[in-house]
Amino acid sequence: MKTFFYFLLFLVLAVVVILLAVLLGDQGAWYFAWLIGTAMIVLVAAAGAALLDTQEEHAAAAQRASTDARADRMA
Amino acid sequence: MHDITVVDLSRLQFAATALYHFLFVPLTLGMSFMLAAMETVYVVTGKSIYKQMAQFWGKLFMINFALGVATGLTMEFQFGTNWSFYSSFVGDIFGAPLAIEGLMAFFMESTFVGLMVFGWERLSKGQHLAVTWLVALGSNLSALWILVANSFMQDPQGAAFNPTTMRMELHSFQQLIFNPDAQSKFVHTSIAGYVTAAIFVAGISAWYMLKKRHVDLAKRSFRMAALFGVLATIGVITLGDALGFVAAHAQPTKLAAMEALWKTEPGPMPFNLIAFPDQSLQQNKGAVRVPYLLSLLVTHSLDGSMAGFDTLQKKAAQRVENGIPAVQALETLSKDPHDAAALAQFKTHEKDLGYGFLVQRYAPELDKVTPQQVQEAAKDSIPPVAAVFWSFRAMVGFGLLMLAFFVMAVLYTLRNKVQDKRWFLIAAAWMIPIPFLANEAGWLVAELGRQPWTVFGVLPTWMSASTHSVGYMAFSLIGFVLLYTVFIAIEMYLMVRSIRQGPQEPGGGGRSEPGPRPQPRPANAAAVSGRYQEG
Repeated sequence: MKTFFYFLLFLVLAVVVILLAVLLGDQGAWYFAWLIGTAMIVLVAAAGAALLDTQEEHAAAAQRASTDARADRMA
Repeated sequence: MHDITVVDLSRLQFAATALYHFLFVPLTLGMSFMLAAMETVYVVTGKSIYKQMAQFWGKLFMINFALGVATGLTMEFQFGTNWSFYSSFVGDIFGAPLAIEGLMAFFMESTFVGLMVFGWERLSKGQHLAVTWLVALGSNLSALWILVANSFMQDPQGAAFNPTTMRMELHSFQQLIFNPDAQSKFVHTSIAGYVTAAIFVAGISAWYMLKKRHVDLAKRSFRMAALFGVLATIGVITLGDALGFVAAHAQPTKLAAMEALWKTEPGPMPFNLIAFPDQSLQQNKGAVRVPYLLSLLVTHSLDGSMAGFDTLQKKAAQRVENGIPAVQALETLSKDPHDAAALAQFKTHEKDLGYGFLVQRYAPELDKVTPQQVQEAAKDSIPPVAAVFWSFRAMVGFGLLMLAFFVMAVLYTLRNKVQDKRWFLIAAAWMIPIPFLANEAGWLVAELGRQPWTVFGVLPTWMSASTHSVGYMAFSLIGFVLLYTVFIAIEMYLMVRSIRQGPQEPGGGGRSEPGPRPQPRPANAAAVSGRYQEG
């Protein structure tokens, strides 16, 4: 059910964006560009943070694997 | 007749307050969306470090927001106190976007900013995120309406002068809002705010990394700021180009001043990289020119051309002569609003009314105007070239410097190596003043380039001011400068104190590196990923 509501929410968002594009397309192209551009900038910045978390997890996992391998060799 | 010293002092007072105010505004515009980005990551991932980030940067945002509001309020009063003729002349148009700004955007932003600050423990995650987004939207909508009003001054659209009421009246709200100058200027200014916030966050995060404090938080903040900043800087440069295109049609004198172009040349036109414009001789000294570049920048072609001041001044002289009958007709209509002959004369010369006003500074009685006075007025239509030329170069130079900085920042942070680049972290901290200087330079280009008009081509600056005494103006100017300097000092003190204090980390740690961790040596990857999960 939750997924369905998310689907509906994003559907409504998509309709709003298309409507805005149609309404602003002729006369307010830069306003529309600002809306889309701002959303994109925020999402790219957010994705960058998520990517850093993943990079750190991978680095920590690699370091642990190397430590374990060294411990195994010493044993 | 206005005292020109009073007009100059009124201009200086508005410029001083606007420049002070514009130190705060861009940071608010950009920081609000950066907070929205940080909080979005917190809500999506549930990692508490992003909540700390949103709260810490939110605290700095609030300091800046409060002082931005305080410095902005007086500016709106100045329209009434120091620019009363301007307010009466264009109040019907200019007042509408300002009123909408106050009633819609500012109320929205101010209401939700309270919820954003005090709502962390009272609202659900989703509700608080919605509030943060609304603060960001509200603050940027606030800028939208201010810039719609400003764009009317740059390129008056959607209004006409009514000779019966002796003032300008709005006839198309749609044209006012969708004015090309308003669109490109809003996006340019708003995104310049994003760049300001990105440099601010990146610079402070770099300082934390240098000091080995709050490193995890600083790395994440830096990463977000670098990506936010690089895209925003590209946007600012794109919109700067668009704004130049708009100015080429709406304000050719501003564009000619930006390029110090005294004489019209056939394409391909060289670009004055460096020059020392001499306004009295109408020529440049020590010019260093780059072939083809001006045509490419201004017309997006290699052989395009644009008008120089020689052509523009001739056109202005013609418009002054054509505007004189319009002003004379108004004098008749002020005594008899139903005089059909005067009305017909006004309609014929209406489009050059402003140029008629321009010559009144030299010839209050227009039936005695001399050709020399017409030439003086035409010469007045040229803005202060050296100031516009160098402000423009400063703005562009700083913009390119910030682009280079962000490109490097993105490269280093994506490799997760930025914390090891000590020289780059030092440079990042020193970058903090750059966007503020670029913003101020941009404001000077926009507003000095508009001179000698308050409303371009319609209302000259010399007749827009109130009739105060020189003493009153000097006293209030000194008062404002002192007061606003105190505001800046307070902001700097509060900011530095909060930055030194640092973010609140779990377990009460505020100064340690990188803050207490629940599991210093996690046993598996899941534990690492859960390091910042809320308990």
